[in-house]
Amino acid sequence: MRWIKNIIVALLLSSFSVQAQDESFRKAQTAYDDGRYAEAILLYDSLLKDGLNNPEIHYNLGNACFKDSDLPKAILHYRKAWYDLPRDPDIVANLHFALNAAGAIEHSPGFAERILFTLSYQEWILVATAGYLLLSFLLLLIIISKRSRRLLFKLCLIPGLLILLSTFGWLQWRQLQANPEWVVSKTEATALFGPVDGSTAHFKLPIGALVQQSNIDPKGWIEVEYDGKKGWLKNEYITPVSP
Amino acid sequence: MNFEGIQQGWMARKLRNSIFLVLCSLFVSAGTALAADVQMTIDRELISLLDRAVLKVEFINASGKALDIPPVDGLKIQYQGQSSETRIVNMKRTSKVIHTYIITPSKVGDYTIGPVTAHYKGGEKELSAQLRVIKPADDKEAQEISELMYSEITSDRDAPHVHEPFNLTLKVFIRDGVQIDGNFALRGGMPENGMDGELQWRVTGRDRAEIDGSIFTVHTLTATAKTLTAGTFTFQPQVQMNVIIPRQNRRSYGFDDPFFGDFFGRQETRPFVLDCNKLEVDVRAVPMAGRPESFTGGVGIFDFDVEVGPKQVKAGEPITIKTRIRGEGNLSQITPPTIEESHEFKLYDARTVATDNPNEVKFEQVLIPKSDSVTNVPAISFSYFNTKTTDFRTIKQGPFPISVEAVPQQTAQVIATVPSTIQQETKILGRDIVYLKPMPTVWSRTTELPWYRKITFQALLALPALLLLLVSGSTARRNRLSNNVALARRQQAPKAARKQVQLAEQALRKRDEAAFYEALWNAMAEYFGHRLNLAPGEVSMQAVLKSFPAEQAAIETLFNSVEQRRYGIKPDRSNSKDEMKALLNQLTTTLKKCERIKL
Repeated sequence: MRWIKNIIVALLLSSFSVQAQDESFRKAQTAYDDGRYAEAILLYDSLLKDGLNNPEIHYNLGNACFKDSDLPKAILHYRKAWYDLPRDPDIVANLHFALNAAGAIEHSPGFAERILFTLSYQEWILVATAGYLLLSFLLLLIIISKRSRRLLFKLCLIPGLLILLSTFGWLQWRQLQANPEWVVSKTEATALFGPVDGSTAHFKLPIGALVQQSNIDPKGWIEVEYDGKKGWLKNEYITPVSP
Repeated sequence: MNFEGIQQGWMARKLRNSIFLVLCSLFVSAGTALAADVQMTIDRELISLLDRAVLKVEFINASGKALDIPPVDGLKIQYQGQSSETRIVNMKRTSKVIHTYIITPSKVGDYTIGPVTAHYKGGEKELSAQLRVIKPADDKEAQEISELMYSEITSDRDAPHVHEPFNLTLKVFIRDGVQIDGNFALRGGMPENGMDGELQWRVTGRDRAEIDGSIFTVHTLTATAKTLTAGTFTFQPQVQMNVIIPRQNRRSYGFDDPFFGDFFGRQETRPFVLDCNKLEVDVRAVPMAGRPESFTGGVGIFDFDVEVGPKQVKAGEPITIKTRIRGEGNLSQITPPTIEESHEFKLYDARTVATDNPNEVKFEQVLIPKSDSVTNVPAISFSYFNTKTTDFRTIKQGPFPISVEAVPQQTAQVIATVPSTIQQETKILGRDIVYLKPMPTVWSRTTELPWYRKITFQALLALPALLLLLVSGSTARRNRLSNNVALARRQQAPKAARKQVQLAEQALRKRDEAAFYEALWNAMAEYFGHRLNLAPGEVSMQAVLKSFPAEQAAIETLFNSVEQRRYGIKPDRSNSKDEMKALLNQLTTTLKKCERIKL
């Protein structure tokens, strides 16, 4: 009987917690509507601190930050939301808008990159799983049935291609985890030619620019790629974004 | 005791005596190895300037550490390591600890190595060795290695600026007559910090030159250096190369000249390391004073061109500004020249354009006039630091007149209209961000494992593979059995026998003797028929005995008894039920045994 009690208590506690989260989200939305953006930011931030990680929170927080003129933080949260919902038009539009407002050059992906970033990391795993199940089913049919085996073999190409494509997609996201993205969060960020204090300036980075790490130096320098150029930045100028 | 026993005892005694004798001799030899000593030897006391000698310090019947041999001007003494050897000759054991030194001369002369005091068990001894170094027979003047071979490093710039490429030249001078294999390796002596990449040395020349009346072959190596920071940069590499010299051995045919070489003209290569002069390059920072606003990091000597086109556009249409910087300097580090912004046009960031010419860099920038009031593209200035005149220079191009035609309702396109030259897609965004998203239906937590990492999901993933394995296994088995009748019947045999044995048991319970013996016969016929892949009529005692000779007695009893009872022949005194039970037991036991036998 004790375990039944424990389950009931746990269910009640979780329902209270869910109610509290719903309440915070609603309050944040009201604060945003009333133009109290700083309060909305605090509320959305508290949800994230509670361990929640929905793209909707990141997106709404990005909006609140944008309205509060905190462009780097807005871009950071739009990007985080984009990792989960890469095809969401609202997220794509707002990220694009915020980058434009920051005067940052947006990375224009190549054809393959654009295709592979159509689906999120989880979605690619889902596609791979579906491909795997379909392939297993078709192989079962090939084994069991004695007719139209040639056709079934040809059909196996579909899940095979799905698995191959999802592997590339998965690798693309893994690449982003290995070489994370950063947002320039301070003004006067200037990439240098080398990871040495006093090295010559290479190019300037606008606040809010989204850069990708290409190398790291143990002394706190990060080589970033921006607009086709690579330069070294002190990590105090940038905030990590990647999943 | 027989003869063999006596012989074995004699052999054992002989072996024991031999071991005893060997041990005694070892003890005796150990006892004789008492005279400790230390010696210094040099393998050749006369060598040429390009040759080298091997010096050995040998501790005989004692152990000792390597000696610190005092430096000798004109000789380079390098410790090589320690070795040891033990010899037993005429029951006398001699052990040695040998420390080896390589001696490379740098000038001719008579040298005394040492004296140096060596301490060993039982005393100490002063050691010294003599070495005579002579010049090569065909060289009348060279007295030192540096007169035969030396290297020099120079820079084409005394005080370059940061990012300004400067050339380093390393010349290796080899006197005529000294042969080298032509390979050079540079070791160390490069600045640790502040260099822009590693120096790539390449051999760029091989000339002959007369220096102080002697002819030298001059090998030239060059590298282009560039620094990231200002300061003093020191270059002092060592040049490692291989000198080819005649093989030196004891049977030299020169009278007193090892350089005369071997009679058969055999040669060997010896590695030599040449020290270089110290080159200090003071790299100056690009001055801050007088730095124009349009300075974009160019250091060197450059030329600057601008092309603007098309020159007749409608408002909202893009105009491409192509800039090209040519010259010598840090082209790869120059950022695009800036164009003065205006509210009358939208200006996009410049992009680098690929070019085949390593001495130029190209940029493209897009400008979109918003209205017909724009009459020209503003002048573009490129400033750089001229390393020749050590001042900043500015090259100004433009303004470039353009003609813009008005277009009604053009102002609808804002902010993010990206021209096709930069990005293929054109996105027209509103003037504000898109509104908030509604509350999510399910809250996801960072602490929660994502679904694809949960064990249940991973276990479920394994199911189709397992199912596939099972089905393919059973299908393969089925196929194998359908293709192999003997194997299929073999597997059927125990099952068929079991069925008949059950029928026999039922008949026994009903005391139906006829049915019982019929079932027993069927059990045997079906088992052996399937097992031996025989047709029903072919099952006979002889056929079965051929395959199971080990069970001959049991099989004969079973076949004979069952056959007799089937035809109504009964034994005189016997309880039929007990006999039936006994036969059934014997049958099951025999079939089990046969089942275990591999054919």
